[in-house]
Amino acid sequence: MNLRRRSDKEIKERGASQWAVAWRRFKKHRSGLVGLGMIIVLLTIAAFHNVIAPYPARPHPDAFKPLYEGESAQPPSWKHPFGTTVMGTDVFSEVIHGSIYTIYVAVAVTIISMALSVGVGIVSGYFGRLVDDVLMRITEVFLVFPSLLFILLFSRIYQLGVAEPFWNVFGIKIPVGLTIVVVIVSIFGWASYARVIRGEVLRMKECEFIQAAKSLGASSRWIMLRHIFPNILPQVIVLATLTMASAVLVEAAVSFLGFGDPNTITWGRLMEESLQDLSTVWWAEVFPGLAVFLTVLAFNLVGDGLSDALNPRLRE
Amino acid sequence: MNLLEIEYLKTYFFTEAGVVKAVDDVTLSVEKGSTVGLVGESGSGKSVTAQSVLRIVPRPGKIIGGKVLFNGEDLLLKKEEEMRKYRGKKISLIFQDPTSSLNPLFTIGSQLADIVIEHEKVKKDEAMERVVKALRIVKLPDPEHAIYQYPHQFSGGMKQRICIARALLLNPELLFADEPTTNLDVTIQAQIIALLKDLQKELGMTLVMITHDMGIVAEMCKNVVVLYAGNVMESGSIEDIFERPHPYTEALLKAVPRLDETRKLISIPGNIPNLIDPPSGCRFHPRCQYAIDLCKERKPPLEEVGNSHFISCHRWRELQGGRS
Repeated sequence: MNLRRRSDKEIKERGASQWAVAWRRFKKHRSGLVGLGMIIVLLTIAAFHNVIAPYPARPHPDAFKPLYEGESAQPPSWKHPFGTTVMGTDVFSEVIHGSIYTIYVAVAVTIISMALSVGVGIVSGYFGRLVDDVLMRITEVFLVFPSLLFILLFSRIYQLGVAEPFWNVFGIKIPVGLTIVVVIVSIFGWASYARVIRGEVLRMKECEFIQAAKSLGASSRWIMLRHIFPNILPQVIVLATLTMASAVLVEAAVSFLGFGDPNTITWGRLMEESLQDLSTVWWAEVFPGLAVFLTVLAFNLVGDGLSDALNPRLRE
Repeated sequence: MNLLEIEYLKTYFFTEAGVVKAVDDVTLSVEKGSTVGLVGESGSGKSVTAQSVLRIVPRPGKIIGGKVLFNGEDLLLKKEEEMRKYRGKKISLIFQDPTSSLNPLFTIGSQLADIVIEHEKVKKDEAMERVVKALRIVKLPDPEHAIYQYPHQFSGGMKQRICIARALLLNPELLFADEPTTNLDVTIQAQIIALLKDLQKELGMTLVMITHDMGIVAEMCKNVVVLYAGNVMESGSIEDIFERPHPYTEALLKAVPRLDETRKLISIPGNIPNLIDPPSGCRFHPRCQYAIDLCKERKPPLEEVGNSHFISCHRWRELQGGRS
């Protein structure tokens, strides 16, 4: 018998993990890849917004340069690809500067609402009984709230009380008003996800390996963290991408209605500012809207691709 | 000395349709170092008995009475935190379906090492060594490589070996094997049975085989406990049970298909009773060919009929005399 001693690397060669399989499948998902490409473009724009945009962001005085040059309310041209507004700002630059806030909203809302919904969903589903009853009633309270109304109300109340427009965290300026909107949107958005996650946990809990872990002395915390959470992670990831899309939409709506942060020029805010000029300066409305649309589309495409790639029932 | 003694254990399931008396007054004992068969049809309470010992009965099940003495200590009185130290370390359980009892997301090494780390607070490397050692004991080929692989990369028989290794990781004193071969094909079944038999001998472990296969019982076990509808019908040594069986055990033995006889397959008439509303008296009486009126009215006690051979039957005296 030929017993070759294998190298450590050969021995340690892992089998294909669930994630490697999912990535392989995602790579074959065309619309998912298109969405991912769009998100990468968006991230690049946001990262280099100061370099890409021809004009600086407000409140820098140069943001109004087209006004001084007598080019306000101009239709799209080579100099101003998205045209200019009545007050004389370049729409292209403003949309580019706004991308950073969009990403902030998408990521922050997703982190907060996922943390809440995953926490509540797992604890509720795993422990059941009284814990489940209490947590689910709380969840339902958030579900039956007319959430948009509350978001508008709270953001207006808090905006009034804000003293300084920006927090300075390690040299990064974080807009206070927008953060308040983010927190409020998250608080009113997690409830339906918590229900989905609870359902997944209930299904998971019946699996024999959970029972096996229990029979081997695993604690509840251990089972939740090590067995249940990783196994519902695919669903959480899909929900997270969809949350990003809806967060962008809700923030745009809040800003568009004039309840957003007055100190940050988000895409919704841009649309709100130029609304009264809609009949003449349509481009100041269309391009920020298009940006919102494409971003939401991108997140949805990725979410769709991920849910196919992570679905164990479609495994090859 | 008996390692495990179960006395009048009652585990009921409180479902919406009613209270299912899955385990009702089960009494049995397991001698240290022996192999005991726990036999019965599906739904007779075999698995629930094992789950009750570990106190992992799934909801809505609840242990509502009795004693589970392990090394003389009543496990039912332990706090949940203390109980956790028994699970896996002193008492282990092998499940029926090896495929679903391994977490699909983690490599074999990492999920088995977790158990060692959780119980003994050792370093990851040391835990991994223990895992490799356990995998070697169950004769899994190439354990150094296997620890880096995922459950789906193994066949059913290999997975069951891994599950057995997992149950043996912390050298438990008592091992329950809950129909460990039911989901495997026949040739693999024989291998797993042989493995369990060897392990029991080598490690001097106490093994409780939960099964409905009388062949496995005959091959492996020294003592047998026969359960029916949550009640102990009979318990005793394998010889006593095969030679002087309880009417239910007798019916079970007759139902084992044999290759050397050309006869129709015999089955026990009727079905296992609804445990929400179990039959009065002896729970087997509606299906028993020897049943008399007394069987309907009074539950027979578990009587010692020979040297630690217990039978719960009103008519054991005349039947044993008659059949001899």
